[in-house]
Amino acid sequence: MPIKFKVPIFDVKNLDFRVRGLNILTSISLEIFNGEYVAIIGPNGGGKTTLIRLLLGLQTPTKGSIKLYGKKIKNFKEWYKIGYVPQRASLVDENFPATVEDIVKMGRVSKRTFLRAMSKEDKNAVQDAMVKMDILNLKNKMVGTLSGGQRQRVMIARALASNPEILILDEPNTGVDMVSQKNFYALLAKLNKEEKITIVFITHDIGVIADDIGRLFTINQKATICNNPKETLSCEDMSELYGIEAHLIHNHKHEH
Amino acid sequence: MFEIFEYDFMQRAFIAGILIATLASISGTFIVLKRYSLMSETLAHSALVGVAVGLVAGFNPLWMAVIVAIIAAWIIEYLRTEFSLYSDAILSILLSGSLAIAIIIVSLGGAFNNSLFSYLFGSILSVSSEDVVTIMIFGSISLMLLVTFSKELYFIAYDEEVAKTSGIRVKLLNFLLVTVVAIIIALSIRVVGSLLIGALMVIPTVSALQYRVGFLNTILISLFIALFSVVAGMTLSFYFSLPSGATIVLCVIIIFITSLIINKK
Repeated sequence: MPIKFKVPIFDVKNLDFRVRGLNILTSISLEIFNGEYVAIIGPNGGGKTTLIRLLLGLQTPTKGSIKLYGKKIKNFKEWYKIGYVPQRASLVDENFPATVEDIVKMGRVSKRTFLRAMSKEDKNAVQDAMVKMDILNLKNKMVGTLSGGQRQRVMIARALASNPEILILDEPNTGVDMVSQKNFYALLAKLNKEEKITIVFITHDIGVIADDIGRLFTINQKATICNNPKETLSCEDMSELYGIEAHLIHNHKHEH
Repeated sequence: MFEIFEYDFMQRAFIAGILIATLASISGTFIVLKRYSLMSETLAHSALVGVAVGLVAGFNPLWMAVIVAIIAAWIIEYLRTEFSLYSDAILSILLSGSLAIAIIIVSLGGAFNNSLFSYLFGSILSVSSEDVVTIMIFGSISLMLLVTFSKELYFIAYDEEVAKTSGIRVKLLNFLLVTVVAIIIALSIRVVGSLLIGALMVIPTVSALQYRVGFLNTILISLFIALFSVVAGMTLSFYFSLPSGATIVLCVIIIFITSLIINKK
């Protein structure tokens, strides 16, 4: 559970995003704290991906403020703390010349200082990330030849290689079979509990992960936040705490 | 067999050719992966504007080609990032635009002669010692920049947005890449010619991609193909009195077709 006094990883206040007069997101305010497991759900076109892109500085909000670790995005430099796995991650270009190891190594690029080759620490981090995602045996395989589930693990290993404090995954299950999905959710829960990595997960399929997630945000132009999707909890309290209008959301497990 | 090296001009041509093959194939890997293949054609035509200015105004055409190609590369990158235009359309517009400017400058200056043609189609006979020195200086700077930032450029080619969210200065490095490519193309037009340099940048990489190997090996195969084609092309052009640029391009295309056949699924 979030602690009120701590600096949140993401601190979003009164965020508006408009494109050519069209409201995509309206007065979004939310905070994400260290160690949380947050799921963001919402209909297609509801603005989930846009919200993440705004949080990562890939797009600029029309109004409102976004802070990362207490800093404005343009002043934020410690990007290695954030691991981002975009929606299209598992849909890699089949001809791209990359082995699994080539991709995972990319996770260390921003940590390298000018002119320095891969250090022992870099090599260990790449190795660890591949072990965690159980892809060490695929190390020398070309990414284009892997299955959807395997590619997904490669993409996450790349994000993990920088030893991030937070992992943001945008619909990572696109093109992944059910068995891989289940293993995948178990793995995310493990990363959150054992490695203490904050997880932000965007999905339309909340049923499968409802047991593990701490909080749930629904995004459909506006944000609705529920702080405990498993138990019946007074969201009004949370409204006060976060200064957002929140509605109660019951356990979504039964909805699927 | 080695009489080819008895001529000073052939020695210069080989040095220049080997340098250019190295530069074109390594930088070509990044532009092909970024889907920027057409950029090499556009920059080669922009470089002609520099050559035209050089020929008409009496400056060193190679230096002028480098300067104009860099400016064109920056315009392309600026238009691509700041306006929502299609990249290939921008490249196409600049290609014909610069060719038009080059032709007008040359025709006004009355320099429509053989020396312009040598830049269009490349001429190993015309590579001077001064050219070799210019290629060496700019070439080593370009190569150093490419090698230094190869990991970052590879990451950007793979996924520009993820690279950005990993803290990589994507915009700056994209400008750096197009600048280096502009320099390399301008340097190459002496040997391969502006109408043919695109082939030497793009085809070795596309051939290497057929072998479906990792990043480093792709670059190495591409480098090998480019070097082989340039050496083979120059040797053939010497013995059979063929134009050097065209012979080199045909060699690289033969390797491409062979690579396609060998690696057919």
